[in-house]
Amino acid sequence: MSALPRVPRLTLVRVFWRCLFLQAAWNRRGMQNLGFAYAIAPALRALYPEPARREEALARHLRFFNCHPYMAAAILGGAIHHEERVAAGLEPAEGPLRYKTTLQGPLAALGDGFFWTALRPFFGALAAVGALLAGWPAVVATLVVYNAIHLFLRIGLFRAAYAGGDAIVGRIARLGLPVAADRLRRAGAALCGLAAAIVVVRGAALSGLGAGAAAAAAAVAGYLALARGARLLPAAYVAALLAVGAAALAGRFHGGS
Amino acid sequence: MEYLVLAVVAGLAAVERKGFLQAMLSRPIALAPLAGWALGDLRGGLLVAPPLELFWLGAVNLGAALPVHEALGTAAIAGGAVLAARALGVPVSPDVALLAVLVCAPLALAGRKADRLVEIWNERLADRAERQLAAGHPRAAVRCNVYGLALPFAIAAVLAPLGAALAATLIPRLLRAAPAAAEPLQHGFFAFAALACASGAKALRARAAPGFFYAALGAAVAVSIAVALGRRLGT
Repeated sequence: MSALPRVPRLTLVRVFWRCLFLQAAWNRRGMQNLGFAYAIAPALRALYPEPARREEALARHLRFFNCHPYMAAAILGGAIHHEERVAAGLEPAEGPLRYKTTLQGPLAALGDGFFWTALRPFFGALAAVGALLAGWPAVVATLVVYNAIHLFLRIGLFRAAYAGGDAIVGRIARLGLPVAADRLRRAGAALCGLAAAIVVVRGAALSGLGAGAAAAAAAVAGYLALARGARLLPAAYVAALLAVGAAALAGRFHGGS
Repeated sequence: MEYLVLAVVAGLAAVERKGFLQAMLSRPIALAPLAGWALGDLRGGLLVAPPLELFWLGAVNLGAALPVHEALGTAAIAGGAVLAARALGVPVSPDVALLAVLVCAPLALAGRKADRLVEIWNERLADRAERQLAAGHPRAAVRCNVYGLALPFAIAAVLAPLGAALAATLIPRLLRAAPAAAEPLQHGFFAFAALACASGAKALRARAAPGFFYAALGAAVAVSIAVALGRRLGT
């Protein structure tokens, strides 16, 4: 047993930068295994000067791994925390693997539920409404805010897990992500309704009441159809072509009368 | 040159979408204006960005499930709309935008199929990394990860300009042959954009989503009508 070796700060920054490439070689067998090994490699080089131990450590991080790419920062930070203990002889070599295996599933579910199906769609809808009302500056502002939140959480999770190891579980639980996700989804749905209203009004203003009516019908009936299992792309073709056909018929009728 | 620029933009977006960062830069709301700007028509890209973002709001990478390749579709649509409008000598209008959507949107499905090929390619990279590590080359082993960025880049860089070229060839011919079609096509664009909003609300997977969607739609339309009537009565 020896004093706890620490990974240098600059190396931690390098590991974090590399974790942005976590899914570069995503594959069905090991999923993010290669990305995880790529990210943690500089830390392992700092912790294990002997090539044999370093390769052994790298081999255990080449095993199956899959998590949400943002939440994986917490697992990466915690894995380095455990590797430091392994290098010092305070923990068996299975320690980091146990940590990864235990947390990857729950954090993947949490990350998918919060980031992918709530936060990002909410900001997507917000940016869309902003673009319709105020143009590109609104898009830029929305993306800046989204990425401030995303990077703050990603860096924060990495740092907290590196410092506290398993204690990260309690800290993530205190964030209340599922409750926030639910609110974001409702707000996102309302933004989509607002966007639809802007499209209806703009259609009526630019191309006449017929275009506004076609847009309103597509929004109302479209949601019902999609909720009943209609496929997205065919539904889009049907909605667009029905509106084109109706407008062409109306034009011919007016032209003929 | 325009197609080369579009190829680079589409390729980088495909990399950002999954392999690196994932900061929403490859989402339609960012990518369409970027592609438009790169081709010299920011406003053209901005016209298609909101409907495409909402249309593909549910395109997310959950676990091993593969979503449609919204970045590839968007790059082709935005590029196709801008280049077709340029060929016609007009700014991107709703009729041109709708035709670009109809021509290029299926590329998003083709992109999903291509993503399967990428996964198979990446499995080979993972095998190679294991072999390199067994041979005592840990640096070479982990470097295999970044090679995984090459194929998504190449696929998008080839397919997006092809889609845009098809749109830029077909759309001007169609609109020159049938100029009367422009107005009905504008109606179609607004119908597509409204359906995209419904698709966005549906993608949010909330039980209360329909209530919030319809309430916001109804309230905002009612307010707009009231404001318009008020203005008319005031004049």
